[in-house]
Amino acid sequence: MTESRKIDVGEGAAIPNRNDWGLFNAWVISIVGAITAIIYLLISRPDPYQRLLVYLGDGIVITFKVTIVSIICACGIGLITGLGRVSKNKAINLVASTYVEIIRGIPLLVQLFYIYYALGRFLNVPDLTAAIIAMSVCYGAYMGEVFRAGITAIDKGQTEAARSLGLNGRQTMFMVILPQAWRTILPPVGNEFIALLKDTSLVSILAVADLLRRGREFSSETFLYFETYTMVALVYLVITLILSKGVSIMEARLSHYVRR
Amino acid sequence: MKRLFKSIVIAAAMSALALSVVGCGKKEEKAAEPAANATAAAPKTIIFASDATYPPMQYTNDQKEIVGFEVDVIKAAGEKAGFKAEFKNVAWDGIFAGLSAGKYDAISSSVSITDERKATMDFSDPIMAIEQTLVVAKDEKATDLAGLKGKSVGAQIGTTSYLVLKDVKGFKAIKTYDEVGLAMEDLVKGSIQAVVADSPVAVEYTAHKYADKIKIAGVVKSDKVENIGIAVKKGNKDVLDLVNKGLAAIKADGTFDKIKAAHNMK
Repeated sequence: MTESRKIDVGEGAAIPNRNDWGLFNAWVISIVGAITAIIYLLISRPDPYQRLLVYLGDGIVITFKVTIVSIICACGIGLITGLGRVSKNKAINLVASTYVEIIRGIPLLVQLFYIYYALGRFLNVPDLTAAIIAMSVCYGAYMGEVFRAGITAIDKGQTEAARSLGLNGRQTMFMVILPQAWRTILPPVGNEFIALLKDTSLVSILAVADLLRRGREFSSETFLYFETYTMVALVYLVITLILSKGVSIMEARLSHYVRR
Repeated sequence: MKRLFKSIVIAAAMSALALSVVGCGKKEEKAAEPAANATAAAPKTIIFASDATYPPMQYTNDQKEIVGFEVDVIKAAGEKAGFKAEFKNVAWDGIFAGLSAGKYDAISSSVSITDERKATMDFSDPIMAIEQTLVVAKDEKATDLAGLKGKSVGAQIGTTSYLVLKDVKGFKAIKTYDEVGLAMEDLVKGSIQAVVADSPVAVEYTAHKYADKIKIAGVVKSDKVENIGIAVKKGNKDVLDLVNKGLAAIKADGTFDKIKAAHNMK
């Protein structure tokens, strides 16, 4: 099997190198540092910090909820969009391209406001649902581009070989192209996951009680701005680092049979 | 590997440069400060932070100027006490952090005087008393917070209105908004069933903006009188004295009542 070309899409956090299990790499230093800092703060000054972490608790759950549901929806939308973008059917191609063009041209923050407050006048969706819809629609477009890049990166010879073996177009796509493309697009998709997780902090403007909103509530009441935002930043960092390691492990699993 | 090392060195050098630029900026600011104080012998300029999303107390008009009842009060007080009031639009969420960081001299943003806030900042004499008011949809029957158990309610983040809600148990959710206007919008949409807000704001929204959709259900009873005032950094007596002098002067000669009448306030 030929090695597929490397593609480079997205600007999220760096995925740690899957072959690097050393003791001193950026990932280990960051996560050990972050967790040590949290534990140190909790022990050295239990008064605001323990109370703060308990207060942030349900915010962390909401952040996870928005992230996970949005990732699943965005992957689905992204796959459909990606297939649409490489489709030979002109109409489907145009619809998918227009969707990507429009969504990528509008900032996520504006999309959130638009779906919740502007469209909210006509169809009243709960805040959490609106947040998930906005995140999914936005990241679905980004993800669509990643899928498209991954599919087009597969050598044309693969399609030709599959077709000459008698597979039809759909079988070629789902049994030959996508399983190979998946490996190529996993790093950029993982990047999108992490970017999505970080961008869920934007949903706090819809008064969704996520991690950032809980932090803002706590600080605006106690005036402990330094303490609150230090903890919020550390919690986000730990979650992001764990997620990026997860993607890295998954990447290693998927490519173990590719000779390097 | 060599290339990686090179890029690390370049990155480190660039961040060092960036830091030093920031550092210089700070130094320059500090150097400019005494000069500003020296020229303040003439009418002193006091910079007031104001969350201008709070009609009718302070809001931005179509000319992008910060206007409103409290703005007029402070400007009139400035004329009497000899200071020039300058207003700066600051998001409510970080308005107290900015004061303690010294980004402005005072906060004029309908700040309720509470004991908790007094611990971290100083307050002028009260400007006026307000009440926490419950706003609901036109067809809602509940007239107090107890009648809204099991429903979603909202208030602006970090306000005394939010504290009122926080003390009551049994709501489905308490939502905190960046601006009181967004809370009212959510109430009109039906995402929440009640909003608690300062009385002048509640009157403004129910009487003008959304008169056909929401109404005042009642006043949240409290055994304490809630006053609003001007907040300054702890120990900033110069500004506090000037503001108090101005407030006393306009209250004594009837200017204050005139401003109140001009804004249709009780």
